[in-house]
Amino acid sequence: MTDLPDFNAMTDADFRALARDFVETNYPDIPRYTLGRLHWDEVKPWYLVLSEHGWICPTWPREHGGMGLTAGKHLILIEEFERYGAARVNDIGPVMLGPLLLKYGTEAQKAEFLPKILSGEHVWAQGYSEPGAGSDLAAVRCEAVLEGGDWVINGQKTWCTLGMDANWIFILARTDKTVKKQAGISFLLVPMDAPGVTTRNIENLEREAEFCEVFFDDVRVPADHIVGGVNEGWTAAKALLGHERVFIGAPRLSAAAMTRLKRIALRAGVWHDPVFRDRYVALQCDVADLGDLFETYVDKLRGGQTIGADVAMLKIFQSELYQRISELMMEVAGEEAGLAQAPEGDRQLHAAATWLSARPTTIFGGSTEIMRNMLAKAILELPS
Amino acid sequence: MSEEWVENARMIVESARAIVPADGSLERVRKVRFEGPGYDRAVMQEAGELGLFLMRVEEEAGGLGLGMRETCELARVLGRGLLPEPVLAAIMAGAMLQGSMPEEAMTGAQVITWAWQDALGSLGWKGGADGGRIKGTKQAVQGAAGADLFAVLTDQGVALLPRDAVTLQTAESLDGGQLCTISFDSEAEILPCPTAQSVLEDATLAHSAYLLGLSERALEITLEYLRVRKQFDRPIGSFQSLQHRATEMKVSLELSRAAIFATARRFDTGADALTRARGAARVKLRAAELAMHVSREAIQMHGAMGITDEADIGLFVRKAMSEANLFGSPRLLRARLAELLDEGDAA
Repeated sequence: MTDLPDFNAMTDADFRALARDFVETNYPDIPRYTLGRLHWDEVKPWYLVLSEHGWICPTWPREHGGMGLTAGKHLILIEEFERYGAARVNDIGPVMLGPLLLKYGTEAQKAEFLPKILSGEHVWAQGYSEPGAGSDLAAVRCEAVLEGGDWVINGQKTWCTLGMDANWIFILARTDKTVKKQAGISFLLVPMDAPGVTTRNIENLEREAEFCEVFFDDVRVPADHIVGGVNEGWTAAKALLGHERVFIGAPRLSAAAMTRLKRIALRAGVWHDPVFRDRYVALQCDVADLGDLFETYVDKLRGGQTIGADVAMLKIFQSELYQRISELMMEVAGEEAGLAQAPEGDRQLHAAATWLSARPTTIFGGSTEIMRNMLAKAILELPS
Repeated sequence: MSEEWVENARMIVESARAIVPADGSLERVRKVRFEGPGYDRAVMQEAGELGLFLMRVEEEAGGLGLGMRETCELARVLGRGLLPEPVLAAIMAGAMLQGSMPEEAMTGAQVITWAWQDALGSLGWKGGADGGRIKGTKQAVQGAAGADLFAVLTDQGVALLPRDAVTLQTAESLDGGQLCTISFDSEAEILPCPTAQSVLEDATLAHSAYLLGLSERALEITLEYLRVRKQFDRPIGSFQSLQHRATEMKVSLELSRAAIFATARRFDTGADALTRARGAARVKLRAAELAMHVSREAIQMHGAMGITDEADIGLFVRKAMSEANLFGSPRLLRARLAELLDEGDAA
């Protein structure tokens, strides 16, 4: 790894130019502008390039191998990578586990795990949800019992995004069944190659396997593979997220979908149809308004302010807007909307692909309904 | 964060507290409706004395030279208080007339309004000049029923007409004011007004901010009702179906707020003509839909109280219905945006 310059001392314009040059120069010969996620074997070259240059963990402190970027600079980096269409790497280690270890991990855990995230030696999966614990995450039943210096784990996790590519998984496990459900949960680190770990891929509606189930059958991990103390897992898991929540509400996804909608409308010969235009301009206004709302949060980040619970409004509106755009695509595409394959092999013209890819956005990362519950109480101060 | 406009807006809003107290009683608003012109000329005089009508007059012309962000912040506060007086119309008259704004109009000793709209259901403003004469009609002239002076916009510029030079046709509006048409046919000096289109866009933006303020306060009143009203031994605000719908209103409100102030910033920092046209239409579209969205939900959530005239929420609903379609209905604005679709890059 080379010595990194002080990115935060650069002007935004200089840093933007640097980030743009970086991605243009270093992006490997792998797909760009993908609608879905790439698997590890496809995206690994990009992860490794980022790793070699010390750019894989933008928000980690520099002393731990990160870029130490402020939220404002991080945003620029994301914008430039997205502009180029760079594929998203498996970022559960860099984005989720790393910050959690930095906050709650022991020195030994940081020394053991952080470098291996940086190098790509460890590819992490998240094991939170279970068949009976989705939105009600605190209801997890996957159990861990201390036995002869080991945690012995039994249970099941599901919706593990790109879990089939991971060699490690962090899980929320039930370690005390006698207390309030949130108070009896611990955060454990488990190697996927431990005896008793098995996985089963789940195909989504696009018939692609982006997530999997993970089963634990008397899986043993050492007692020190716990982060944040016994029964402290819920606190640790909840403390995450921070400013990353803002980016989920960025208008880019919807703006790009509007471009595809226009292409589909042109192909269908309805671009000048007034009925279509009435709905198109309404959506266009929604995207622009979202952009203005997004900027108010970005301004807060740039000003060093923290982001409150109200940021959930961005995710709610962005995800539903993306879906509404995809719904108009389906109408406009006519009979072609029902094709299994993209017209002319061009995925951009495939209304169904966008419609399907828009579905999880209101489910994962906090469903729209759960977010509305939270907003009603935390922001509108409505009673329980 | 504390840009100059924020401090300016704070001062303007503070002085405006004299005519629209923070979350004050709506007693006065209730009292002036369906009486005379539907507003209080004395309040216009107070607003004039506070210097509000000078906001958009340039400093070199003796005005305050403030921007659209300050104007929108004032408009938002006026909307919160459902101020019935045509303060925004007088500000826009000042914006057109600049140094030619008569002293007595600046001070509010005489009530001034502006007249731009050629026909209902359109955004055309260029009619009214005929050779050397000022001749024609203007629609939806705000506050006309109590005005002394009319700044009439035409493609030749702006003419200042006294009350006795116009014929007034009025129809009572839902909020207790008057929807007025003026007709005129007289000799008049027409002053050049190169910024006419911009003033109309500014007015559209300011009107949107008024609707934002109205919606903001109506939502607060509704949320308060949800917290205190009990049925089935629980506050009705604890019911999830109402909570989710309340969050929908909040999201629309924040989108509208963000769009209005971002657009005002673009206007203040020099946006091109297409950006201005699109921006004005977009914020007005959002604000009108917001006001009607909050209105119908406010009625539903207030239950039977919501359909009584005694409940204050009704004042907000009637005002929203009276004003949501001024400066273009959502249908008209979407049609306008569709026309602009093939010009330049997508906004």
